[in-house]
Amino acid sequence: MDDLIKKSETINKLLARYGVKFGIYKNGEFKEQLFPFDPIPRIIKHDEFTYLEKGLTQRVDALNCFLADIYGPKHIVKDGIIPEEFIFSAKGFLAPCDGVTPPKNIYSHISGIDLVQSKDNNWYILEDNLRVPSGASYPMIARDLQRRGAPEAFSDNSVLDNRNYADLLKEVMDHVNTGGINVILSPGRYNAAFFEHSYLAEKTGAVLTTGKDIVCENDNLYYIDYNGRKQRVGAVYRRISDEYLDPMTFYEESVIGIPHIFEAYRKGNVALINAPGNGVADDKGIYYFVPKMIRYYLSQDAVLMNALTYLPYYEKDMRYVLDNFDKLVIKDVAEAGGYGVVFGSSLTAEKKEEFIALLKSQPRRFIAQEVIDFYDLDILDESGKSVPRKADLRAFVLSGDTTRVWPSGLTRFSRNPDSFIVNSSQGGGFKDTWVLSQ
Amino acid sequence: MFLPQDTARQKITDLNITVSGCENYSITNDSFNNKKLYGLIKEPHNNFEVSITGTAESGIGIFDEYFDDPYRFLILKAQTDLTKPGEKLNEYRKSLHLDEFYAPYDKALHIMRSLHETFQYNPGVTEIHETAENAFSLGKGVCQDYTHIMLSLLRSEKIPARYVVGMMLGEGSSHAWVEALCRGYWYGFDPTNNKLVNDEYIRVSCGRDSSDCSVIKGNFYGFTTQTQSEAVSVEEIITKD
Repeated sequence: MDDLIKKSETINKLLARYGVKFGIYKNGEFKEQLFPFDPIPRIIKHDEFTYLEKGLTQRVDALNCFLADIYGPKHIVKDGIIPEEFIFSAKGFLAPCDGVTPPKNIYSHISGIDLVQSKDNNWYILEDNLRVPSGASYPMIARDLQRRGAPEAFSDNSVLDNRNYADLLKEVMDHVNTGGINVILSPGRYNAAFFEHSYLAEKTGAVLTTGKDIVCENDNLYYIDYNGRKQRVGAVYRRISDEYLDPMTFYEESVIGIPHIFEAYRKGNVALINAPGNGVADDKGIYYFVPKMIRYYLSQDAVLMNALTYLPYYEKDMRYVLDNFDKLVIKDVAEAGGYGVVFGSSLTAEKKEEFIALLKSQPRRFIAQEVIDFYDLDILDESGKSVPRKADLRAFVLSGDTTRVWPSGLTRFSRNPDSFIVNSSQGGGFKDTWVLSQ
Repeated sequence: MFLPQDTARQKITDLNITVSGCENYSITNDSFNNKKLYGLIKEPHNNFEVSITGTAESGIGIFDEYFDDPYRFLILKAQTDLTKPGEKLNEYRKSLHLDEFYAPYDKALHIMRSLHETFQYNPGVTEIHETAENAFSLGKGVCQDYTHIMLSLLRSEKIPARYVVGMMLGEGSSHAWVEALCRGYWYGFDPTNNKLVNDEYIRVSCGRDSSDCSVIKGNFYGFTTQTQSEAVSVEEIITKD
């Protein structure tokens, strides 16, 4: 481990050289910044990982059942488990997807599930990301570079190899492929996660495209290469959000999408990874219902707990939220990336009054949660001293022939000692995540 | 673009489609079961035309098929960005005393009649993407606005309702009206004309609001300005039997 710490500066330099960056749009300007890497790994013991694996697999399986139900027969609404207001007027519900069955009936192929550990060592699910969760490439390349610098650190400590992510991803793409090549569709060079798109394309052997060389003809999708040769496309791992995917179906002004790609998908002629419309399941409001979904679809109790959540939509919960406002964290359902998060105790009296008025007028828009006392992880500060910081873990769950959890993950930490928000778009850093084999 | 298709009320025959510069178009159905024609022209062009002619036999039946599963249309009970009511529409709905009516059909009829009285037909006031609330505040608009406002009111009453685009005898452009699900059957209401939909109407497409079912929609890439024109002509053929 000391070896790793000594080499951390070199590794950060190499990461910069490989272009491991994160793009941020702020005030209309595009800026790229390095994603700072901390050499002290998060260590997950074998038994603990087995437990996480069980809970995550269960959760993602239930979420996939939910998506198939919502865009299909809608039993969960008919049976009164989830009120219809939480589904059909949610931004993430896409009417064009209604009645469309994706290849092999898989909606969320790559799920990024964010967890935190509390001081009493319990794991809590923080949020589900079922649209285009990013971040797997960062621990992949960091591990690769560290292994070059200090290979013994990994064999001596029985760390499970995490370099199989690309193989898992390729298996998923091949499993749902409808007959043709695999492509990774990126919005382009100026996307926040362009490094990841190119890296995953290289590692999985998929064609990296920005869509300019893809056409839809006769309900099929084709890739036209530099020779003018036309090849059928069977699976698209698209890193473009739903709204921009197809200007003829979704946002008309989109210039990064592929016109009519949705028609090929509707006819079952191409797999889209992940399926469009998944936003209805990773909404912060729906999060509250996931344990109920697990019981409803799988007849099991949830292995992994949600953070204790209240829905002001229910009168009883609203009363609790108003009575305990100062000790809760309130989240705007429509926001992501650490935005729209308010700690009740941080507001001035005036702001608090304003916020409560908003909450009362739009109860459906917010959820409230008990603040979790995070288990801090050590990081090295600029002077090389280890200091505790808040951190979370994004676990990657891949659904193909079976559902599998990648034995690693993205551990993000907040560099600011007072902040709970670890999102890379807000300046956090990352660590390697070790899963031990015994 | 959307094509008219057979329903329990109408039968479409000898449909003749010509699309300039595009032989490779496809026909598909969308999630609202509309029949849709789409295609791509790769060659540069400075003119694009689509023409569709055909015969519609209307007035075959009064009802569409019967739906005994109300959950099938949950999507059509949810407000959209265009139909979401604001203060003005909520106030108006209260003034209608809809709780005095029990059957959805009676509520719909009352809404249609009152709206026709309150709202004024006047083209050029509202915009293409005008919301129901805005249009209602302005007090005047076109068939699209009448339809959005009525949809908003019906959905606030938890009645599934959809936006319908079609053609009407004697009109020079496409028309829009409302269909409301009343006890398992879809009924057509035309608030612009204060009329129940009958054999003078030819139905083309439907959806949650106008953005789901505009007759034609497209994109082109290039630096140029464009003009677009649309013409609809419906003539009556009376058969003897």
